[in-house]
Amino acid sequence: MALTDTNRPARRWRLDPSLIIVVLLLAAVVIAGFALSDRFGTTRNFMNVLEQASALGFASLGQALVVLVGGIDLSIGAVVTASTVLMAGVVETNPALMIPMIFGTLLFGAAIGFMNGYVTLRTGVHPLIVTLGTASILQGAVLIYTLQPTGGVPFWFEEFAYGRIGGVVPISGVVMLLCFALVWAFLKYSQTGRAIYAVGGSPEAARLTGIRASRITLLAYSASGFFAALAGAYYVSRTGVGDPRVGDPMTLASITPVILGGLILGGGKGNILGVLLGVFLISLLSNLLNYMNVSTFIQWVIQGLIIIFAVSIYVHKGKKL
Amino acid sequence: MIRLDGITKVFPGVKSLDKVSFEARAGEIHALLGENGAGKSTLIKTMAGAYIPEEGSIHFDGQERRWASPKEAKDAGIHIIYQELMLFPELTVAENIFIGDPPKTRFGTIDYKTMQARATETLSRLGHALDPRALVKELSVADQQMVEIAKALVGDTKLLVLDEPTAVISGREAELLFDRVKRLRDEGVCIIYISHRLEEIFAIADRVTVLKDGQYVGTRDIGALDRDRLVAMMVGRELEDIFPRKKLPAPDAAPVLSVRDLRAPPRVKDVSFDLFAGEILGLAGLVGAGRSEVAHAIFGSMPRSDGAVTLAGEAFNTPTPRQAIDRGLGFLTEDRKGEGLMLQLDMAANVTAPTLPEFTTASGLDRAQEVQAAADEIRRFRIAIPGPKYGVSQLSGGNQQKILFGRWTRACRRVLIHDEPTRGVDVGAKVEIYEIIRKLADEGVGILVISSELPEVVGLCTRVLVMREGVITGEVTGAEINEETIMRHATAATRGAAA
Repeated sequence: MALTDTNRPARRWRLDPSLIIVVLLLAAVVIAGFALSDRFGTTRNFMNVLEQASALGFASLGQALVVLVGGIDLSIGAVVTASTVLMAGVVETNPALMIPMIFGTLLFGAAIGFMNGYVTLRTGVHPLIVTLGTASILQGAVLIYTLQPTGGVPFWFEEFAYGRIGGVVPISGVVMLLCFALVWAFLKYSQTGRAIYAVGGSPEAARLTGIRASRITLLAYSASGFFAALAGAYYVSRTGVGDPRVGDPMTLASITPVILGGLILGGGKGNILGVLLGVFLISLLSNLLNYMNVSTFIQWVIQGLIIIFAVSIYVHKGKKL
Repeated sequence: MIRLDGITKVFPGVKSLDKVSFEARAGEIHALLGENGAGKSTLIKTMAGAYIPEEGSIHFDGQERRWASPKEAKDAGIHIIYQELMLFPELTVAENIFIGDPPKTRFGTIDYKTMQARATETLSRLGHALDPRALVKELSVADQQMVEIAKALVGDTKLLVLDEPTAVISGREAELLFDRVKRLRDEGVCIIYISHRLEEIFAIADRVTVLKDGQYVGTRDIGALDRDRLVAMMVGRELEDIFPRKKLPAPDAAPVLSVRDLRAPPRVKDVSFDLFAGEILGLAGLVGAGRSEVAHAIFGSMPRSDGAVTLAGEAFNTPTPRQAIDRGLGFLTEDRKGEGLMLQLDMAANVTAPTLPEFTTASGLDRAQEVQAAADEIRRFRIAIPGPKYGVSQLSGGNQQKILFGRWTRACRRVLIHDEPTRGVDVGAKVEIYEIIRKLADEGVGILVISSELPEVVGLCTRVLVMREGVITGEVTGAEINEETIMRHATAATRGAAA
């Protein structure tokens, strides 16, 4: 690739400038971690964080795709919840259905996402409202079905969350990294990936260059539902049950890494790797603060400050460009 | 009243004003003229303290001034009315006029009675009458403009700048506006009037200053000028040098696009025409006549209710943009930033957007090949951009348009529809764009040019269709192609409303 870029001397690796902020913040957290806690900087701890970060990773990955096409998905938390209840509820009585239900749950999530996209396109209602409505419907339905954590899965399914490759690397974390790698390559090297950026940035211009914009939007929302369901599967694996409230914090949580990673709400711009770094940033930060016995509430305050700080820098940089 | 000497204002990479001097007197209407990008707005903003010039001095009302903020200039008596009106639609006329400093009662609350009385009084100074309690959103645009001007009269305005005030109003309303503005001049206000429309300049201005490419060209009394000399000043060359030589398509050329009884409600009512290979066909008409909609309906980006379209000999009746492109029909839209370019993608991605499959191999997008293709277009159209991987949003209108030429000429070799091909483009680039269009026609592409700029239609096209209210009302060819004939067809039965 570098060979044909005749304008400037080839450089093998260059940091995408939009990632600088999240990289710096991440570095700050890691350095602070090494300095402030002796339990932080161990392989064991990093692997634990990687495992625990996977749910947030899946949810943010889906959110990021929707944000890239210029939308937003507020139903992610509800899809996570509904997926756990659906999976654990069905499998409890029929353990043989475990494997089909893994696919079934992911399909369910994708279908919900597809509906979100379809209704948004068909009615022209802002996705914020459509997905909020979907969230309310799903959450209501789940709570009609059960108020308590319910259901169960075969023991072996816990391997997804707790299993370690070679006793070290968590399976769930690896799956998350793989998902990010696939989506990254897809966005960068496929026509459809390019179309996602085009549709997000300039829907009308995209349509007039022959891009089938509706299909792209549907794909992004479906992917968001799919990854939310994957986060749900992770929770079932971790807790063994379907929990009617587990997804509550996930909707807003899924937006944080997207913002920290430098994606523009409104669409069309941003690097998916920034989102992954955002996930690490949030996860490592909360891990470190836990070690320092900082209360959850203060953690929220700190997280809020970081978000506003990061975004104000992005906005400032955006103006200069 | 105001004098600017040797003003230079530099933006990253561009010298927007280069040692420009300008002077306007109290009690005159001074027109400021220039093509897009000539530096008119920059000059105005410098006067008003919105920009701080790198060099040069500003004298206002007899004193040298260095505005620290727009507010300071405003307090000194400079008031600017921008094209987009700065009104609050949900507030009343009186509230809008006194938005900055409403009259107060003894208790410090807003004194509505006094405010309404003073609003009526201020409007009557303009010779205008409006209900001060009416909501601004319920007024016509022309009345809204009066409210905007009344705002200027509340303070002690000595210099009033009007930035293209007639862009949004019709002929009769414009006359009313001119009348009001002349009243203010006679009261001794200094008025700077910016417009593209030359007829207006002759109707209203006392003196004219022309800018071109950020440089001062000259100032003349209006009586010492005629239309042609003014154009020559703005353009910097004679009209004959702008357009390439016309060439008729070969007499045996086949129609590449045939449109019969096309209807696309609400704007397109009945349109039929043929476009031949190698022809440059104009589509003229007033704004709102349905010209762009015809293009969208042919291209498949707007539904048709009726009609038959034949593209290169094959029926094309259930179109989508994708199919249009695949069959060699391209559409360069009027709104370059909204419907043309993808501002958040780089130049290379913009060029290849409709032809991405060409750059896709088994392992995905071949970015190297894409960049190479874009580099070819940069050379072919002499696009001023550092490289294919750079963004497009900061480029000049001309360069943006050339990128779109690169995109569409790669993709579509049969028919290209150009909607306002030179809008927002400076003269130098216009000449290049006309040459490109001519060259494409010579290569056998059928070209449809939609344009509101009559000189462009007249100078470029070998045949012109004129539309009015969704219907083609005339076709002119050869020596008949002139502004008067076209306007006659464009306004034929609606003389009352237009012209």
